[in-house]
Amino acid sequence: MRPFKYTSATDISSAVKGLAGKPNAKFLAGGTNLLDLMKEDVERPDELIDINRLPLTNIKTITIGTNQGGLSIGGLGKNTDAANHPLVRQQYPLLTQAILAGASGQIRNMATNGGNLLQRTRCPYFYEVSMPCNKREPGTGCSALQGVNRLHAIFGWSEKCVAVYPSDMSIALAALDAVVTVRNASGQERAIPFADFHRLPGDTPEKETSLNPGELITAIELPKNNFANHSYYLKVRDRASYAFALISVAAALELNGNKISKARIAMGGVAHKPWRVLKAEQLLVGKEATEANFRLAATAGMADARPLEHNKFKVELGNRSIVLALQQALNGSKS
Amino acid sequence: MREKDKLVGTPVSRIDGILKVTGKADYSVDHPIKNAAYAILFKSTIAAGTITNIDSAEAEKSPGVLAVITHKNAPKLNVKGGIRGGAMLQSPAIEFYGQNIGIVVADTFEQARHAAHLIKVDYDKKTPKADFDKLASEAKPPKDNHDEKWGDAKAALGTASYTVEETYSTPIEHHHPMEPHAAIAEWTGNQVTLYSSAQIVNGAQNAAAATLNLSPENVRIVSPYIGGGFGSKGGQWANLVLTAVAAKVANRPVKLALTRNQMVNSVGLRQQNFQKVSLAATKEGKLTALAHEITTHCAIDTEFVEPCGDCSKIMYDTPNALITYKVVPMNVILPTYTRGPGKSTGSFALESAVDELAYKLKMDPIVFRIKNEPAKDPSNGKPWSSRKAVECLQAGAKAFGWDKRKMEPRQNQDGDYLIGYGVAAGTYPAHQRPSSAIVKLNREGSTVTAIVELAAADLGTGTYTILAQTAADALDLPIKNVTVHIGDSDLPPAAGSVGSVGATSYANVVNDACIKLTDELIAKSGKQYYARPTASQLMVSEKIPTHQTRVDSKPLASAEEYSAHSFNANFAEVRVNKLTGMVRVSRFLAVTGAGKILNPKTARSQIIGGNVWGIGMALTEESVLDPRWGNFVTRSLADYHVPSNLDIGDLDAIFIREEDTLANKMGIKGIGEVGIVGVAAAVANAVFNATGKRVRELPITPDKLL
Ligand SMILES: Cc1cc2nc3c(=O)[nH]c(=O)nc-3n(C[C@H](O)[C@H](O)[C@H](O)COP(=O)(O)OP(=O)(O)OC[C@H]3O[C@@H](n4cnc5c(N)ncnc54)[C@H](O)[C@@H]3O)c2cc1C
Ligand code: SF4
Repeated sequence: MRPFKYTSATDISSAVKGLAGKPNAKFLAGGTNLLDLMKEDVERPDELIDINRLPLTNIKTITIGTNQGGLSIGGLGKNTDAANHPLVRQQYPLLTQAILAGASGQIRNMATNGGNLLQRTRCPYFYEVSMPCNKREPGTGCSALQGVNRLHAIFGWSEKCVAVYPSDMSIALAALDAVVTVRNASGQERAIPFADFHRLPGDTPEKETSLNPGELITAIELPKNNFANHSYYLKVRDRASYAFALISVAAALELNGNKISKARIAMGGVAHKPWRVLKAEQLLVGKEATEANFRLAATAGMADARPLEHNKFKVELGNRSIVLALQQALNGSKS
Repeated sequence: MREKDKLVGTPVSRIDGILKVTGKADYSVDHPIKNAAYAILFKSTIAAGTITNIDSAEAEKSPGVLAVITHKNAPKLNVKGGIRGGAMLQSPAIEFYGQNIGIVVADTFEQARHAAHLIKVDYDKKTPKADFDKLASEAKPPKDNHDEKWGDAKAALGTASYTVEETYSTPIEHHHPMEPHAAIAEWTGNQVTLYSSAQIVNGAQNAAAATLNLSPENVRIVSPYIGGGFGSKGGQWANLVLTAVAAKVANRPVKLALTRNQMVNSVGLRQQNFQKVSLAATKEGKLTALAHEITTHCAIDTEFVEPCGDCSKIMYDTPNALITYKVVPMNVILPTYTRGPGKSTGSFALESAVDELAYKLKMDPIVFRIKNEPAKDPSNGKPWSSRKAVECLQAGAKAFGWDKRKMEPRQNQDGDYLIGYGVAAGTYPAHQRPSSAIVKLNREGSTVTAIVELAAADLGTGTYTILAQTAADALDLPIKNVTVHIGDSDLPPAAGSVGSVGATSYANVVNDACIKLTDELIAKSGKQYYARPTASQLMVSEKIPTHQTRVDSKPLASAEEYSAHSFNANFAEVRVNKLTGMVRVSRFLAVTGAGKILNPKTARSQIIGGNVWGIGMALTEESVLDPRWGNFVTRSLADYHVPSNLDIGDLDAIFIREEDTLANKMGIKGIGEVGIVGVAAAVANAVFNATGKRVRELPITPDKLL
């Protein structure tokens, strides 16, 4: 860890102004990712602005605008509180399941919702400063491409970077079409649809989101939907808890009788961003909710997978996981 | 004392327990030492080659920095002094990735860590030898050869009607104790005190002294509590002596703790093994041949080979056996003893193969094992001091409900889950090692108190407690009147807490000392007694204010005539998700015959702790190397998966009553190691029974079951 300046902001405006024009300064939320990376010398900010005291922890029903009737979750609320809030549990159980599938109780108590979205990849080469890594040091090469890549991407990767994005929470948020609201130093707010929030690596794996420098995540908005009775977050991992996903699937169905009127499928552990499986979703709409149709959808969804040397299993596992998650989502209301 | 009042054999709670859960037990670097500076190691970022330059100018100018020590300015050490793994800054040569190449000492930990980042190192880099898959074919018999042969196994395999010939692979594992290796060094003149974490207190003292070119009297090891070691704190590693070096150079007491990441290339590991096991049997299920051929790796300049063939030497009666070892040097840190060394990995191969053979014979694997139970040690013909292998299997089968197991796989389903049962046997040798102890008695009025002193180690296993129980019984005192002092090389020398010799060696010597002390008090009284009085009675009746004695105990000479081992039987029930391949061990039972159980509570904790690691070995634990660089990609506990609570279902431990005074006077056999032996095989066998899929490459991660 290198020496850095530490300040603490108590209101939003001084927080965003404090960061303005300082490319090497960062917000400090729960610190569960940032401080780890600083100890590994991967992140080297020269200034941290502690934003834990900002009044951005509320969870409340949205009363105006396009997402009216939905839920707004404060950017600095703790993951534990978001997962266990009664409105979240009732209306967005998928989000509860996804958050609780991540990390450990202790970490979720520290981790914030905004910080969770911005957590960085767990690629072991990214974490080791003596290794080449385009994400950490653009232009040095990707150690994982020909290296140990069992945990890496099967969709949307580039020769520059094959890392996966590790958040569980975000996989549910992608399926729920969440919107991220952010504020910049001039006090302007903008809303970023979740699908546009994270990026594929392309030629610039160091740029992971569409957040502009200095922007603060103030809230995450969840539009109203009818998925609460038929959703499921499946996480397949190397141990039963406290491990990142090999594959995860957030599945949500809106049913009309046994006919699917809306379907959402997002996958984790497969790409540089939450991976919406649009082909599978489209295939399901208007169909009966049957195992056979789930299988067709899964096969369609996995068709473009491009596995690496050590992660070929993710294609079959992804396929099965989509089917299983959809089945569990379908059974949801019965159980 | 009436038998029913005896403390030995009862579940006394750990006497150091409250200290530990309230944070009052001082582990190595917790000791409050005034004016201590902080040191941090920095490490090589290549696995093979030579350092051509180290530029530490910027680091030396960094605030708070007291010294930067590298091979260029490090004091000369004796690299053959007994410290394991080299890496003591004695040369620019690099033999493995993450080799220590320097120390930064500063006023604070943060200053030291920061300065370490400012150091620039240039290398002349060579291609490392780090790809075991490719190098295995170059492996050669080790210099220290433990091959074993009787009969002609290969010939018997050729003619047998039922055979199994398979290769089993186990990955590199790390010990990862909760307390990383750490020490404080404090010099007075040419004497140094090292507050550290040592499974063998006198071993650490001797190795540190020889390496630092000091006599042992000038090195004191203080290690009252150990936050786990599992073999990695048996031998000592460079960090211990480098702490002393740093303190000498900085002319201040120095604290040096390894970071979790540094643990992967600082303190040994369990090496990767390929084990080919070939078994042959008659159609009645009589074993006719057993061959166990082991290939492994060691460090570039130092050999170490886990004895994977040990179980195969004694588990089954076979007229023909062959055990061979081959090893190839690699640019990876020296492997070392790791819980159940050789036996845990070896039993995975042997007991998987036995399960495979029993399945081919369509025979219950327990029946098969009992059929092949040897009457005496097949490897040397010695009688057993005692052997409860069959009793373990039978008692376990009954308690576990083994009769519900289906012979054929995939016959037991519950929704999306396939359920399977597996069994595997295990064993570990029982030895006593020479140890000395002093017992002191003091009396105030009618209250007698005792102090027991020896340089024993308590890894968190219960040494303090069992010694207090032993002394309390032998002296006729309440346990609260007994104080146990261990973990200090100023105390009488004692065996290490390694290889399951701790409890046996320590309890026997303490018991011997108490008996001798009582004899001395009787003699002192000058009286004749009809019934032997106890030490506590004599102190009071003879109004003796204080008395002490010392004993040096050795193993029984007659013990050599017997083959003495603990035995166990492990039973696993697994639930495998048909679709995702995730495995959960829903029930696990270990039945152990290990002589006298001094304390069923601490013993149970030892066994179930070993079981948990064995389950980790079976399902989750693996240290992965990138062969291109020779570095580990699994460097933190987020990547190196020890089992989490959710991975572990119901655990239970049963002890078979066993009186074995042939092994040693008290009839103790040791349980620290045996608890992990056979566990991984039981789980893998259960996975086969559940799924029909035989996984011969650990760990059994979901991808292997798709
Ligand atoms: C051992 C371990 C296991 C884990 N396992 C999982 C898992 O299984 N699944 C999972 O999903 N996660 C897992 N995590 C990750 C954990 O969820 C994240 O570390 C956490 O969510 C990050 O939140 P934080 O508030 O601590 O972020 P911080 O570390 O404080 O910040 C992360 C980044 O976000 C920026 N930031 C934070 N808040 C804002 C804001 N409001 N606006 C703009 N920028 C901001 C910071 O500047 C920093 O760059 C694990 C973490 C650990 C250490
Ligand atoms: S996958 Fe991405 S993060 Fe990992 S080494 Fe390659 S560039 Fe770096």
